Amino acid sequence: MTIKKSKLTILTVIIAGYSTLASQAISDTNYGPFPITVKGYTGTKTNSVSYTGQMARHVLHDSLKKLAGTGSGEANPALEEEMMAYFSGSKKNKAIISPVSKEGFKLKQTLVNSISSGKNLSGKAYKGVVNGWPGQMTGAEVLEHMIKKAASAKSGFDPNTGYNYPQLISKFAMGAVFYNAAVDGYLDEKLAADTKPNGKPYKDGAYYTGKEHVWDEGFGYWGAAAHTLNLSAKENYEVAKMKNFSAADFNNDGEVDLKTEMTFAHAYYASSYDKGGKTNYLHTVTKAFVDGRKLITSANGKNLTDSQREELVGYAAVISSNWEKVIAESIFKYAGSVYKDIGKLEGLLDSNGDTTKAFADYCKHWGELKGFSMAIQSGKNNLGETALKMNRMIGYGPVLLNSSQVTGVNSSGEFLKDEALSWREYKLHMLKVQKLMVDAFGVEARANDQTEGLAALAASLGTAESAEND
Amino acid sequence: MIDFLISIFEHFVDPKKRIFLGYIILSVIIAFIWLIFIKKFSLVEAFLKVFDKRIFFSKSSKSDYLIFFLNRVFTLFISPMLITQIVIATFIFHALHQLTWLDVNMFKEVPKTIIIGLFTLFIFLLDDLTKYFVHRWMHKYPILWALHKVHHSATELTPLTIYRTHPLEGIVFSLRSAFTQGLAISVFFFLFGDKVSLATVLGVNVVIFLFNVAGSNLRHSHIGIRYWRWLEYILISPAQHQLHHSIAKEHHDKNFGATLAIWDWVFKSHHYSTDTEKLTLGLNENQTSKEHSLYTIYVSPVVEVIEIIRTNFISSYKNTKRMVYRFLKIKRQINKNLISQRKDNTDVKI
Repeated sequence: MTIKKSKLTILTVIIAGYSTLASQAISDTNYGPFPITVKGYTGTKTNSVSYTGQMARHVLHDSLKKLAGTGSGEANPALEEEMMAYFSGSKKNKAIISPVSKEGFKLKQTLVNSISSGKNLSGKAYKGVVNGWPGQMTGAEVLEHMIKKAASAKSGFDPNTGYNYPQLISKFAMGAVFYNAAVDGYLDEKLAADTKPNGKPYKDGAYYTGKEHVWDEGFGYWGAAAHTLNLSAKENYEVAKMKNFSAADFNNDGEVDLKTEMTFAHAYYASSYDKGGKTNYLHTVTKAFVDGRKLITSANGKNLTDSQREELVGYAAVISSNWEKVIAESIFKYAGSVYKDIGKLEGLLDSNGDTTKAFADYCKHWGELKGFSMAIQSGKNNLGETALKMNRMIGYGPVLLNSSQVTGVNSSGEFLKDEALSWREYKLHMLKVQKLMVDAFGVEARANDQTEGLAALAASLGTAESAEND
Repeated sequence: MIDFLISIFEHFVDPKKRIFLGYIILSVIIAFIWLIFIKKFSLVEAFLKVFDKRIFFSKSSKSDYLIFFLNRVFTLFISPMLITQIVIATFIFHALHQLTWLDVNMFKEVPKTIIIGLFTLFIFLLDDLTKYFVHRWMHKYPILWALHKVHHSATELTPLTIYRTHPLEGIVFSLRSAFTQGLAISVFFFLFGDKVSLATVLGVNVVIFLFNVAGSNLRHSHIGIRYWRWLEYILISPAQHQLHHSIAKEHHDKNFGATLAIWDWVFKSHHYSTDTEKLTLGLNENQTSKEHSLYTIYVSPVVEVIEIIRTNFISSYKNTKRMVYRFLKIKRQINKNLISQRKDNTDVKI
């Protein structure tokens, strides 16, 4: 009996040791699990990582976008109310409208509260004035304005203004909520020594320290799966597109856990650029998050020293600058799309062709461009002249087929239109927006680069360095 | 350090550069063919002529070799600071969008082979024409001649003499090249879109490749190959360029062309080739070996440029200032007179 007991003890020790090693090995590349370090915690939790609130907001955002494209073209208070429930939160346990399981890609959660309850998007939206949108409104007010308009637009598209609301709402919310909360809050002032210190629990009774949770929340808003670093950019992209179940289901339980195994929002866009091979935003940002979390964990529940905090701020700077570049890449990409779309429309107008689809595509891409251009202004940096140029070049609305454009909004929230600049000038503006993204943010992936052909031709000619006589 | 040295000598293995070893070997072969079949030299005589040690070990040539090395170092440091063809191309491409009589991709339906042919020919012609004019200005304007005469101070010509170029002149040449390429690629890309590309051999514009294969290195050599007269109206023969380096007054400001002689013909600077053996090359008859010193090559031109600026521009500034002062003085005097006249008139009224 004694021998049996001792064998059992040895076996337990071996298993425990193996589990610890395995967990440490995972934590080398995964965002968690990380041990409990907060002093005085007496609960049963063994993993201090917690960012479910952020993942709930990702599904609220995805669901809101989906709903924004379901209008019939008539006033629809019920739809508006439903959208507001996902935007401002609801006491009901709302269904996750997007993402939802599909054949070969089973999701673990179907209800928002299964991820985290009591969450909303409105409370975390950018508090400053949004200069890119008419009406001098805050981030939450702009989103609410868009939601009201989307509810009565057919499939979320208003051809009178050219606004594609699902795109505008989604892209702006990604900036006004996720990007803003992370880079202007959790990765900025909340890293100060006297704010949410690491020597105390985040709140009374919490199983994580102040800094652990601050950092986790920043990571949650980024939208990457916890095992992102184990996957290539292409695999992460496929996870977001729900096309690679084996890559998503990291714990092999047959379901994709939306809390930890899904790729959302900015992380998805980063993967889309990185899979081209020119950039490495997704891994750079995610690794900085993982390394930062390891650093906080290594403080073992004590306040961070000045050098530790300095190192952490360094990781935050890497995250913020790369995140900003990811958004700038999107602005670059969609400015290129709009440029191409105008070319197609011009061709159709010249040949008296049907412009319906081409116009809708143009407005969709414009919505993405506009949304991202507003998103990038929601960060902690005052973009000053860059923002001014971008807002002026893109305008409040796309140039419409009748050469008009939204120029403002009246006191009732109705859009005002006036004569627009020419297609020719607007196309040039798109080129200048692309150049601005290169000059101001140094974008490198440069999807839809409309001057790529110039660079290719220049390369074929070789360097212009020609310091010889003939 | 090894990378740096490789960068310095990489022109020998770059087919885009004239001193690419392949082109040099072909130039040597052409020189042998010329000497043996046209000039009736024996093989040994031809060998001794082509590899004439008096040429290759002359003071002039030895300074060329040193300048080659130093200029490559300068270029490696300076060229990253210069405006690139892509910046110019982007600027022009943007500007073209503002022209109401042009549309993006307006000729994209033209067959690709025609577009490639047009682009290849256009960039060659534009490049050669701008080379002609820049070269002409190098001789015309004293400030530019102060730099360009470094190249003309060579008393013996070797393929490396093309590097006998003052670094400031090198900057002028690089800017010309950037402007030319920027203009050509932006205009073609605007009009023809993605279909534009260059017809190349070994990655080099096919026309430039043919020029180099046809013995371009012999322009700067002692092998005076001459073409038929009719051909010398179209292409600059090596002997025509050697004449450009002649100190004889009648040869001054002749044959500025790089590849085509047409520009010289049209703009009246054309001269047929003569027997190179009878030419004296360099700046003037009294040229000494001092002209090959590094001080004369690198420093003297800068001193001369500063002096030209001082005497011409600063003195003209002073003259202008003096004229303005005089003008103001006269104006003041006129105003004074007018006031006193008015006063007189008022007095009369009273």
